[in-house]
Amino acid sequence: MTYIGQSVKRLYDEKFVTGKSTYVDDISIPALYTAFVRSPYAHARIKKIDVTDALKVPGVVAVFTAKDINPMLRGGVRPWTTYLNLQSFRYVERKAFPEDKVRYVGEPVAMVLAVDKYSARDGVDKVTVDYEPLQPVLTMDEALKNQVIIHEELKTNIAYDIPLKAGDVDKAFKEADKVIPVEAINERLIPNPMEPRGIVARYEGGNLTVWYSTQVPHYMRSEFARIFGLHESKIRVIMPDVGGAFGSKVNLLAEELAVIGASIRLGRPVRWTATRSEEMLASNARHNEFRGEVAVKNDGKILGIRGKLVLDFGAYVTITGGVQSAIIPMMITGPYDIRNAEVESIAVYTNTPPITMYRGASRPEATFIIERIVSTVADELGLDDVTIRERNLATQLPYTNPFGIRYDSGDYVGLLKKAVEKLGYYDLKKWAEEERKKGHIVGVGMAYYVEIASFGPWEYAEIRVDENGDVLVLTGTTPHGQGSDTGLAQIVADALQIDISKVRVVWGDTDQVPMSMGTYGSRSITIGGSAALIAANKVLEDMKKVAAQIWNADVQEVQYSNGVFTHRADPNKKLTWDEVARAAYSKHEPGIKESAIYESDVTSPYGVHVAVVEIDENSGIARVLEYRAYDDIGQVINPALAEGQIHGGAMQAVGQALYEQAVITESGALGVTYADYFIPTMVEAPKYVSVFADTPHFSPYPTKSKGVGEAALIVGPAVIVRAVEDAVKARFNRTPIKPEEILNALKLKK
Amino acid sequence: MGVLANKGEKVKVRVRVNGVWYERYVSPRMLLVDFLRDELGLTGTKVGCDTTTCGACTVIMNGRSVKSCTVLAVQANGADILTIEGLAQDSKLHPIQQAFMDNFALQCGYCTPGMIMQTYFLLKENPNPTEEEIRDGLHGNICRCTGYQNIINAVKDAAGRMRS
Ligand code: FES
Ligand code: FES
Repeated sequence: MTYIGQSVKRLYDEKFVTGKSTYVDDISIPALYTAFVRSPYAHARIKKIDVTDALKVPGVVAVFTAKDINPMLRGGVRPWTTYLNLQSFRYVERKAFPEDKVRYVGEPVAMVLAVDKYSARDGVDKVTVDYEPLQPVLTMDEALKNQVIIHEELKTNIAYDIPLKAGDVDKAFKEADKVIPVEAINERLIPNPMEPRGIVARYEGGNLTVWYSTQVPHYMRSEFARIFGLHESKIRVIMPDVGGAFGSKVNLLAEELAVIGASIRLGRPVRWTATRSEEMLASNARHNEFRGEVAVKNDGKILGIRGKLVLDFGAYVTITGGVQSAIIPMMITGPYDIRNAEVESIAVYTNTPPITMYRGASRPEATFIIERIVSTVADELGLDDVTIRERNLATQLPYTNPFGIRYDSGDYVGLLKKAVEKLGYYDLKKWAEEERKKGHIVGVGMAYYVEIASFGPWEYAEIRVDENGDVLVLTGTTPHGQGSDTGLAQIVADALQIDISKVRVVWGDTDQVPMSMGTYGSRSITIGGSAALIAANKVLEDMKKVAAQIWNADVQEVQYSNGVFTHRADPNKKLTWDEVARAAYSKHEPGIKESAIYESDVTSPYGVHVAVVEIDENSGIARVLEYRAYDDIGQVINPALAEGQIHGGAMQAVGQALYEQAVITESGALGVTYADYFIPTMVEAPKYVSVFADTPHFSPYPTKSKGVGEAALIVGPAVIVRAVEDAVKARFNRTPIKPEEILNALKLKK
Repeated sequence: MGVLANKGEKVKVRVRVNGVWYERYVSPRMLLVDFLRDELGLTGTKVGCDTTTCGACTVIMNGRSVKSCTVLAVQANGADILTIEGLAQDSKLHPIQQAFMDNFALQCGYCTPGMIMQTYFLLKENPNPTEEEIRDGLHGNICRCTGYQNIINAVKDAAGRMRS
């Protein structure tokens, strides 16, 4: 019975295909509905809020503003203390509502609570707010000038400004044959999970229960405790089915603080489900600009990089906004052996919706920068994309990059050669060349990535065997689409050598799972699976002890294989898994239960992806026809699920590279519909080929896996941009590449 | 239909959903999707947008697929509606449902009910669609997780199962 390495079908699909899934908005509970009054201004002083008329609307129960809710809060939203140093950031903890002024279009200033959602909306229309408009700060350049300050208390718009330097950068530039300017820009994105976020809060008898579309129920429990001054033991956070997140649901919104506050104040359950527009305001992502230069030798060897990275935080710090400013610079040398690098990382506040992390969080940005650098250098020196990489890839693994990030295992050059061959890169190149001769505008691009995945510091797992021999796995990870729950069941079923149908995996309820970090950063299978594997091994030892007791034997004499315990000396003695499980419950024993914490740091998946694009010469619209991936992700637990991660990430990469851009108007309003923000549909979907390394390099984790959740969005934008460059024969340093840019480039060449 | 109502007044809506007749008094502005979810408790139909773009709310109304976020409950008066909850017969999954499971055609599952209902309509109209026809027929349904390839495979697979 080996499940690891098999494309085992997802265990919990049936509820999703039959309409029995339960996302937070599907929970049936008599609760008040919430609608928010939102600012039409990007920056304005709040003069007066009049709620009198709103309270007269039939069905409206209450209308709350800052003065009602904020005094209940002892703190507000702040950066992620698990990974970020609070001292590195200048910020004001965000409360439920702004007290003095609004800082982005769509910022909530009041909440209407009503018996149904239609009445709540009616109430919103009747709230009048007097504003005194202020000059908004809409761009990072404006913010840097510090002429208009967004958070007066901070006296500056600069939220983060930490230079990072390694090696001897000046010497590298002195010794260079050439210094090449480089630029890499990611416009603002919107993660857009299909399930908009939502929350139901119920407070009764001093206990707070929160049903919450989140990736991190335990972290949120501790944040709720801190902010509302409650004991964690009185708070239960339940994560129901979550309809996608991509990092954007490690995010505590002002709206959500308001909902919890209102439920405590009213002593009634209160619910809020974001509309799509509200979801789009809830989490923006990326928006960063790198400008710098690179020192190279004529043979292509890169000696050093220096530059400045500017990032947008939006109007407020979020839990994860700071991840990018802190981690991008540290990964800027990518998989290459570049020892001299200097990056100043500056994050600013602007009067725009707040930025959070989004699939890959910092690794996509860093990879885009370094891959733009490497490809630009190749073009400037007349080298091809494979050669330039061969000359610079790190060759000694493990490799510690100049900023101290350790890449644990791999064969970077070997994988490059393998990938190029397996993905048919040169054949595609040749094909594209032929097609171009016929007048078709097609191109083929590739890029390389190494990332860090699995992020510690630890994860929890608990395994119980019930009296029928069935196994319950409580995982601290929080699957919300990845199918990693099935992967965990595979790991546990293999470790216990039992049928996978005996295994059930549960997660996401703080009353069920005592502690957890959650799911993000491609960590579930690797760190969550390792914790589960250790717990499973302990459970098996316990089971052997029970068998030994039954036989009055020493535990060393008990053997176990495929669901059957045998006695080493006496082959006639046999007990099945189920019999031992039952025995463990006899004599008033409490049965078998083990838990484990697995502590570890990051591991490093890496790979090469290739894309084929085709451009319509009249419209300039680019389409990715094919997307091919070759990844070394260590041990692959479930190939079909892993491929699914590549497909989904690649689709988002297509979006980032070609179509998706959060538009902010001159008055600062974010385009909040799918007419403003184009999410790829089935028509834009390429054909994917996903290949995993045939001789993978394992991670040091017990599962030997590395993680695959983000790879394609980490490297994909660089891959697709390179393919467009190949098609158009022009340079593009910004995502998304818009049709008009492509048309202009095509015109220039004529 | 010609249902007229005064402000604040409720109107009677009678619909047959998954073979069962329901009668409710609702506000004339209530959307069909809210009617299905909030009045009838059929929460399998999801809401993913405010602009009729995502298809999460797709149901079959009088034999045609509609985005139930863009139909008023009163417009559905007298209609015959099929939702995701009505697809499996006697707890036997519909071949489309089975094909989605077998082809890893879902991840978070949020788009899935809409995808399946739109597939149901597509295959009713065109039992043997080409890949281009599938892409065209489902392009009004957004999935943010799967990258679509496995959904396309599931639709082909389902078409095969339903023809045989
Ligand atoms: S909810 Fe109906 S189309 Fe999006
Ligand atoms: S499976 Fe998540 S949106 Fe399609």
